[in-house]
Amino acid sequence: MTEKKSTTKKTESKKQDTKKVAPVKQEVKKQAAAPAPAVGSTTQQKPRVGVFICHCGTNIAGSMDIPAVQAYAETIPGVAFVDNYQYMCSTPGQGKIEKAIKDKKLTGIVVAACTPRLHEPTFRTATKEGGLNPFRFEMANIRDQNSWVHMHDREGSTEKAKDAIRIAVAKAALLQDLYPKSVPVEKTAMVVGAGVGGMQAALDLAAAGIKTYLIEADTSIGGRMSQLDKTFPTLDCSQCILTPKMVDVGRSPNIELMTWSEVHAVEGYIGNFDVTIRKKARGVLTPKEAEARGIVGGGCNGCGDCDAVCPVVKPNNFEVGMKPRKAIYINHPQVVPLIYTIDFTSCVKCGLCVTACGPEKRAIDLESKDEFITVKVGTAILATGYDIFPIENKKEWGYKRYENVITSLEFERLICASGPTGGHLVRPSDGETPKRIGFVLCAGSRDNTGIGKPYCSRFCCMYSLKHAHQIIEKIPGAVPYLFYMDIRSFGKMYEEFYYRIQDEGAKFIRGRVANILEDPKTKNLHVYTDDTLLNRPIDMEVDLVVLASAIQPSADTNRTRKLFGVSCSMDGWLLEAHPKLNPCGTTTAGVFLAGVCQGPKDIPDTVASAEGAASAASIPIHMGEVELEPYFASCIEDKCAGCGMCVNLCPYSALALVEKDGRTVMQVTEAKCKGCGTCGGFCPGGAIWMNHFTTPQIVAQIDAFLLGGEQ
Amino acid sequence: MSESNANFKFAFYLGCIAPNRYPGCESAAIKTCKKLGIDLLPLKGASCCPAPGAFGSIDLNVWYAMAARNLVLAEQMKMDIALLCNGCYKSIWEVNHKLKHNKDLRDGVNEVLKEIDMEYKGTCNVYHIAELLYNPKYVGAEKVRDSVTNPLTGARIAVHYGCHLTKPHKEREFEDEVMLDTEHPVWMEDLVAALGATPVEYRNKMQCCGAGGGVRGYDLVHALDITNEKLINLQEVGVDALTDICPFCQLQFDRGQIEIQEKFGVSYNLPILHYCELLGLAQGMSPQDLGLDLHGISCDPFLKKVL
Repeated sequence: MTEKKSTTKKTESKKQDTKKVAPVKQEVKKQAAAPAPAVGSTTQQKPRVGVFICHCGTNIAGSMDIPAVQAYAETIPGVAFVDNYQYMCSTPGQGKIEKAIKDKKLTGIVVAACTPRLHEPTFRTATKEGGLNPFRFEMANIRDQNSWVHMHDREGSTEKAKDAIRIAVAKAALLQDLYPKSVPVEKTAMVVGAGVGGMQAALDLAAAGIKTYLIEADTSIGGRMSQLDKTFPTLDCSQCILTPKMVDVGRSPNIELMTWSEVHAVEGYIGNFDVTIRKKARGVLTPKEAEARGIVGGGCNGCGDCDAVCPVVKPNNFEVGMKPRKAIYINHPQVVPLIYTIDFTSCVKCGLCVTACGPEKRAIDLESKDEFITVKVGTAILATGYDIFPIENKKEWGYKRYENVITSLEFERLICASGPTGGHLVRPSDGETPKRIGFVLCAGSRDNTGIGKPYCSRFCCMYSLKHAHQIIEKIPGAVPYLFYMDIRSFGKMYEEFYYRIQDEGAKFIRGRVANILEDPKTKNLHVYTDDTLLNRPIDMEVDLVVLASAIQPSADTNRTRKLFGVSCSMDGWLLEAHPKLNPCGTTTAGVFLAGVCQGPKDIPDTVASAEGAASAASIPIHMGEVELEPYFASCIEDKCAGCGMCVNLCPYSALALVEKDGRTVMQVTEAKCKGCGTCGGFCPGGAIWMNHFTTPQIVAQIDAFLLGGEQ
Repeated sequence: MSESNANFKFAFYLGCIAPNRYPGCESAAIKTCKKLGIDLLPLKGASCCPAPGAFGSIDLNVWYAMAARNLVLAEQMKMDIALLCNGCYKSIWEVNHKLKHNKDLRDGVNEVLKEIDMEYKGTCNVYHIAELLYNPKYVGAEKVRDSVTNPLTGARIAVHYGCHLTKPHKEREFEDEVMLDTEHPVWMEDLVAALGATPVEYRNKMQCCGAGGGVRGYDLVHALDITNEKLINLQEVGVDALTDICPFCQLQFDRGQIEIQEKFGVSYNLPILHYCELLGLAQGMSPQDLGLDLHGISCDPFLKKVL
């Protein structure tokens, strides 16, 4: 039976060989402008594959029989040379590949080691240095998918490594020369989100001479940091250090700021993104927009006359709903840009504001509509930030059920001089000054119940220490009680700050708060927990409880990330290209991450990450062009029936039908094609040729696996 | 069991305390459910569940095997189990769940059951009657309201949920997700309101009755101390009765009040009624039918208010 199978296979492969000729010719034609192929690298030549087996120290060698794998590899048809080394990725390891290519006249390289994600670029470079086209390299993963998972099955992992190498050799024997295409990069960038991270990234890009579009969904910039009273551990006034940056953003000639706007659609690829922005109807004209309408010297100057006459009252989100605003409003007095916005969901269009604004400024347009603008950018940075986790979901703490249980963000507004109480911390139930204040740390963070978040939100310990300091400073005789699991004071001068707050008289109780109950008469709260250091249950009566609530990705993050083709991890934070070595990049070329959208960060880390993202995003722009991997699809026109099924399937709009020599055929825009293979797998006539993943290559791999080496 | 026919049939698992101490609960459950389209048929030959605290904390294997035997009786009837006690729910539901998901455990239990020619197959589900009454798939608060002929108007009634029905949260699965709220549930209050009464919130509603986990058996005074705290919190808001969904909790609150009087010298005289008893009153059953005269604390002040 096996014999029969192998004969069939032989005839099939012969057939495929003849099939292959057409596209290969086409390739040559297409690559006429590309550098001349390396000598002797045509597919007609008999394959001479070199196999290099990596020990990865004991990562691989500790779990399998390397000599047995090597002995087997030597018997695989098409293999001309086999070697092994402790670390193939090291300089001597790469040197082995380069030398063997020259000495043994190899046509294809297989390295059996870790993953292409980690070291494909390394070994491609080595292949190129040896004089072969870099795309004649194939990797066999015998570590992450083998030795690491079968650590205790030496025999099994040895056999699996033989299979992996045999499959890789089958492909390497059929690999062809490919040449990456270069595309020019648009010399503009985009930053989505204008919190402290987004602003920093935009300022850096602008300073590097790159025109940057800064898109903000809210009516003004500054993000969460502008809501904070003071920052830890320096106790700087948050607004005071942020306002200069906000002003810089507003003034920078290289930054085009669009507030009350969001990304609506993204097309294109690194170097050439077409981003459509929805400018939400604002109802108020900027001086520039007024001028464009012929109202010279008009437009909003932030005088606030409209605010004074507006009859509609709504809660102000910036003040976490603790202060009223009108239907026409600004978030706070220091806003950038100082332009009012009409909340059309509550505006009654009474026109009082239009009259108050007057005939000179004529800044208000009650009929304004959403506008859509498309801009071209080379690279983009997402800095979409965070929201507070809805802590009322943790019902045991009674947020939204008990008046005197508040969140830390509400505390920030209450203790802030520009906040709803002018900086006087009061109990929501009776307006009295609280003397005993409980802080519940890890409220919804490090929570494995499935209701909260399993991760550490990373800055709650530190701001709660700061809160403790603020009440000791502001309220004579007040005592803060911090209910904590661990105090994570990891940053520069943070541990010192922790000791300082201890000395100032804050009380620390190590225990997770089980529940909080309200005394119905006094509205005081009983905090129940265990003091795990003294090993006793605690029932602590306090006047006010502050929940240091967990954070989660901001509401619009998921929609925005999908537009840019960025993944997220299980917890919803955006996924970096590599958690350690590429924390600002994403798997979509040209799209980068700044700040908390990638995971919880305090302000210094957010700013550092933003500067990293700005630097990374400026590199392709300064290079001027980028290389695209040559994995695009191409059409075998003789076979194409022009049915157009593939055009509809393509997720990247890379395919189109064109008239050619009186026939309708499909054409690929190579720069747009990501090589996903959807069209190639579907084409009923087999008319689509996927470079580097050709049908003969894949069939050869499947055969190599199924036939167990009996070619 | 059949989705289309509104008439559901369940094997009715009685437990120990209901038939022995509060027989009214048993008759109330059967009669009220009948009016709501649910037939509760006797699960003949059933033993103790066995009590999760008393058995489970001493020998888990005995706990598994005895509960499995009760489950097999229902499997033989080809029916799902309905029961009216939180302790029974923990034993029967939880063992069923564990046996369904753990082959080793199932094999071990079946080895024991083999000696009495039984085999656990994992074909039945377990429901608390409160769950059936609340979930519109079976009854729902609307249907409960429609069945009321004698609304308990004006009565202020507090709810004691008990512990074992909804906790541990991580290990519970309910068809109706509302019931997954273990910290501040309000679904029983909906059922109380459906009877025309006014549900009343009170301090530390989710605290234990004091009896469970073997505490009552081991250290009565400690158990009563917990019960006393709950009674103080109830007195604080002023209620006409406390309703529960667990005869063991009922025992602790009802007989416990007499013991509290003996040991601490405090009396509350707060009537304690299982929700099925309350439902029976609202459906027009007589207090004698419901065996309310067998309660330790007289229900008369409450009955005067609602009848």
